[in-house]
Parts: sequence; structure tokens; C-alpha cells
Amino acid sequence: MPPLPPAGRPLSRRTFLAAAGGALTAFGLAGCAPSGTAPTITFHQSKPEAVPYFRDLAAKFTASQDRVRVLHDMATNLSASFVRSSPPDLGCLNYNLEMARFMERGALSDLSDLPAAASIRDDVLDLTNWYPTYEGRTSVIPYSVMAASVIYNRRIFEKNGLAVPTTWDELIEVCERLKAAGITPIYGTFRDPWTVAQGLFDYTVGGMINVRGFYKSMHAAGANVGPDSEVSFQKTLLEPVKRMVELTKYVNPDAASRGYGDGNTAMAQGQAAMYFQGPWAFGEIEKAGKDLDLGTFPLPMTGDPADLKVRVNIDLSLWVPEVANGQQGARDFLQYLMQPEIQNPYNAKFLGFGTTKDAPPVTDPRIVEMQKYYDEGRFYMGASQFIPNSIPAANYIQSIIGGADAEGTLRRMDADWARLAFRA
Amino acid sequence: MSSAPSTIPVKPVAAGKGQRIPAGPERTQWPATIILIVCTLSVLVPLYVTISMAFKTTGQAVDGNAFSLPSPLTFDSFAQAWTLTNFPRGFGISVFVSVIAVAGEIIVSALAAYAIVRNWDRRLFRWSFFYLLAAMFIPFPVVALPQIQLTGLVGLDNPLGVAILHIVFALAFNTMLFTAFLRSIPLELEESMRMDGAGTWQVFWKLIFPLLGPMSATVGIFAFIASWNDFMMPSLIISDPELQTIPVLQKIFQTQFSNSYNVAFASYLMAMAPAIIVYLFTQRWVMSGLTQGAVK
Repeated sequence: MPPLPPAGRPLSRRTFLAAAGGALTAFGLAGCAPSGTAPTITFHQSKPEAVPYFRDLAAKFTASQDRVRVLHDMATNLSASFVRSSPPDLGCLNYNLEMARFMERGALSDLSDLPAAASIRDDVLDLTNWYPTYEGRTSVIPYSVMAASVIYNRRIFEKNGLAVPTTWDELIEVCERLKAAGITPIYGTFRDPWTVAQGLFDYTVGGMINVRGFYKSMHAAGANVGPDSEVSFQKTLLEPVKRMVELTKYVNPDAASRGYGDGNTAMAQGQAAMYFQGPWAFGEIEKAGKDLDLGTFPLPMTGDPADLKVRVNIDLSLWVPEVANGQQGARDFLQYLMQPEIQNPYNAKFLGFGTTKDAPPVTDPRIVEMQKYYDEGRFYMGASQFIPNSIPAANYIQSIIGGADAEGTLRRMDADWARLAFRA
Repeated sequence: MSSAPSTIPVKPVAAGKGQRIPAGPERTQWPATIILIVCTLSVLVPLYVTISMAFKTTGQAVDGNAFSLPSPLTFDSFAQAWTLTNFPRGFGISVFVSVIAVAGEIIVSALAAYAIVRNWDRRLFRWSFFYLLAAMFIPFPVVALPQIQLTGLVGLDNPLGVAILHIVFALAFNTMLFTAFLRSIPLELEESMRMDGAGTWQVFWKLIFPLLGPMSATVGIFAFIASWNDFMMPSLIISDPELQTIPVLQKIFQTQFSNSYNVAFASYLMAMAPAIIVYLFTQRWVMSGLTQGAVK
């Protein structure tokens, strides 16, 4: 280590204070500087891979008119902004149970008078009603729906002379034959609890039971959920969960120590035939390997091919908060985003399904097999998405995969559910 | 006024240390050296991964070999991180918050400690010290919600508000450090200066504050690290996304559904750079500063 030069004359107090004061003034003034004459509306969108895309759209819209300036926001804490009564003017976010809490309390304004609201497919708009709603309002406009099912490697299937299974028995046969051929049938990433909940759990449950009806009854039963109630995790979900455990016989031996990133890399390298992930994984798989032929099929859980369904979620939805300052500007930008020539390219680029009545079908070969189910309304939302965060459902499910008693763990989920309902 | 501070014994710090080891430059303490070398790995290995990741292509970053050398070497990640987070602006905001937090914490706490120590025999000052200390038991997350509302109400939902909150939340600990250090400064120095006609203000700026130098360095270092790396406070307090700090902007690189290790690490490297560079130049102060903090 070279000897340090002797400390020079210490920074004089006055210089230091002057510098600090100068910096303060400069930055303070910069903060107040008028940013153009048009009022600014904040557009909150934080899906990372789509940030450059939407930032570009915001800039284009700003340039196309002179009434408002759209500011793309990916950093503000949403809950804090609502607490401060300065929420973003237009939100474009994943719609889930957390987001529904804002809707339930009437924090989001009614958009039903917009032409865009009328253009949405009824069964897609109805997806928002699976969550708690605010009576008489269309607060959320679905922008992009993601359909998820089993990702499979077409080349491996072809090489082994396998067809896409449409019944549970066929699925088991496919797994057995792959196993016999020395190929890992399913790649498991059990280190990340969410992947277990999103994949194995949601697919098996959604393929067997009516998710919406189940949670409706669960909410009706509330604090009475338990061994004797009409519906419960331990009774209604026991059969799918048992089948889920059966499927874990066919995963890679090191699944317990593999995470989401490992799974994507493994699929890119053709290490396994099937992978229980949504289309968001395709982008990640693509990072690790380009020359692939992947497809998707709904997980067959029964003996009847007519029961096949895909898992969907509202990946992006648009909403305008009640207390937003720039209501009109936000609505204008919403209409701009909802134009077919803007919305359809987005969904094509990011592997989403269109939400409007006249949306074109998807063309990407990796998800094209799901179009049929989406068109026919044969879809469900993931069962794990309706359990409040106060119940660590993903971790419970992970422990079942790890060897915990399924009945006992589901019983505990019932007890948690009942306790939470009692408190509410 | 003179009795209380001078009764506290001033302990010679260096005595009794290093005497068990016979002096002699050739003797190497092998067991200790080996343990320390192993310990350095805990810093060097992550640092190596950070640097090599930052120069990898996206394809190589996700291939599962974190320790491989980047090939081909690429600077794309830096360019991407630069534009995605709007790095210069975020960096400027972070610097702004840190500068005010460091300067403010040193000055405000030093003033408070001086007032308290020199008026220790008055009940108001003594109790105000305990009052300040009690604040150490209130972490930011506990009062986050009211803070968000308050800062919003008074128009401090911006970087300046974050800097002020940093000063306030660190006041308890910093005042304690300064108070302990001030007690070891003999009152006689001050008295002789007053004999020559200096007022309290002059005494503080010309005598006490320079003497507090080592402790100011300690406080400054802690203040810098805390404010530079802070995520929670800016993410909750700052309402204008254009005025957000670097750590919050970097959140975008890590989500449930996507990993961009190379871009993330390139961005982390750029954010780490000032701290490392400052450390290289002020190593000596930092070392002495940290041990000061440890002894008190």
C-alpha cells in the first residue's frame, strides 16, 4: 500500500459551509424550475422489461399534443403515494389482491363512461370481479392478460414420439416414458416458493376445481372454515394437492435447491421436457438460449379433455385514482394507450393476450396453443392469488412439496383463514 | 458548572494493548493471518462476482456460472443501466441528500452535544439529553406512515425532506457520541479562551468544533453510509419520480419474474464507486474514526 500523502490543510469551515449551502440552493432551485407550461401527469408502470417501451409511448404522446406532459414513473412507492394523497394519475400495473384493496375502498375512479371500457371482452372485464369490488364502478380496465400453462420442449416430445397429453392418465404416461428414456420430465424450482404456488399448485387446483366458486364459498363461510364446513382447503383441495405431490415424482432430483433463474437456464439448455411457468419465463429463457422450440399446453387434471383450462392473470390493468390531480389528462392518455394500434403491438411484443373484443389472435408459436382456450373463455385465475398475504400460502405449499403432511398443512391453512376472517 | 464534566476520568486509550506480542517486524502471526485472509474472501468474492458480472453479456450472465470470466467483454450493461435509471440525475439527487445529511448531522449534533455537556447541571439540559436518547428506540419503519403524511402536508416530500429526516433520526446516536467525546475535552481550555474575551459562539467554532474533528469524522462516515445506501426512506418519502435516489431506482433490476444480473451489477458498481473512491482517499480518517466510535 503506498503511503498516504500527508493530509493537506483541512478544508476550511467557511468553504465547506459555502459549498454545502451552494449545493442546497442549486438543487432546491432545480426542483422548483418549471418543467414546461403543460401540466404534468404521472404514469406509474413498473414492469421492468416494458419500461423502455412505455417510456417511449409517454414521450410520443407528450409530443403529439400540448395539453399535458406525461411523466413515466417506475420508482414511487404506491402505498405511500396514496397515504400522501398524491397517487399517480394513471396506473398500469398487475391486478391482484393487493391492488384490489384500493378498488374495494373506492380509491379508484369510475371509468365506465370511457369508450375503452365498452371495448373490453365481457369475460375478461369480469376477471376483475373475482376480487373484491366497489359496487357500481368499472375502476379497472384490463390491458394485457397473461395466460400460463405447462411450457414444453417440442423437440424432446417429438424425439420420443410423444403427443401433448389431454388427460391425467396420458400425462402420467408421458412422464413415465420420459423418465424411462432418461429425460427429466418436469423441471422443478422449489427453492422459490412462488414458483411452486404459481405452477404446480395453481395448475393442479385450477384444472380440477372451480376456483371462483371455491373462494366465494370460502368467503361466505369465513370464520367457520374448518373440518366441518362445506368447503375448506383440507377437503376441497386435498385431491388436487395429492396429485401435485404425485407429479413431484417426476422432477429433477435437485429441484429443492433450484430457483427460478436456474429453471430458465435449464429449459434453455434442454435439460427437461416440461416446465410449470408462465410466458414471462420465455423472455428469461431466451436470454440463456435462442435456438429452441417451446410450446404450451394446459395441465390435464381429469379424464376428460373438455375440462382443460389455462391459468390467466391480468398482467397489466389501467386505473385512475379518485384523488388524482390530472384526471382528464390521465383519461386522455388511457384512451391513447387503448387504441388498437398501440395496445395490440404491446401484447404481441410481450406475449400477452389482447383484452378487447376485436383483439387479433396471438401469433407467437410459444403461446399460440393457448389461444383456443382463451377465446372460449376456458380459463381460471390462480388459486394461490386469492389467499391474503397474511397467510404464507406459498411457503405452506412449498413445505408440502418438501415432504410435509398435505392434510395437516391444509388444515393449518383453514385455521389461518378462519382466524383472519374472525379478525376482519 | 465546572464540577460535573471534570469528575469523569479520562482513560488513556492506547495503554495495555499489543504488549503480549513481542516487538519484532519479522514475526508473523500465522493463525491470525490465515483467519484474516479467509475473512477477506467474504468481501473479495462478492466483489469479484459483481465486477465480472457487470462486464458479461446477458446470455453469459444467466448461464449459471457466476465465477466465470466475462467473454466477450462488454460495456453494454453500463450503457443500459445508465439510461434505464437515468443515472446522472439519480446520482445527483443521491449526492444532494448525502451532502446535506452529513453536514447537517455533524453540525446539529455537535451543537446539541455542546449545549448539553456544558449545562449538565441544569435539569432542562440533562433531561433533554435523555429525551434525545429515548429516540434511539424509535426506528423509522414504526413512524413511517405519519412521516409520509406529515412530509406531504408541509411540502417536504422531496430529497430535502429525506435529508432532514436523516438528520433527525440520527440525532440521538450522534449526540451520544459527541457528548461522550466532549466530556474528555478539559474545561480549562475553554476557560482560558473566555479569559481572552471569546463568547460562547466563538468558543464553539474556534475551539470545540475543531477539537471534535475525529468524532465528526466518525459521525460523517456513518451519516454518509446510512444516507447513501438508504432505500426505505427515499422510496416512501419522495413523491416526484424524477427526484428519486439511486438505490430506489435500482430496484427495477430485481423482480420476481426477471433477472438482469449484468445490468443490475453494472448499476451497483456505478453506485458503489463514490463510496469506494472516498474510502481510498480517506482511509486513515475512516480507520481512526471507526475505532473512535467503537471505544466510546
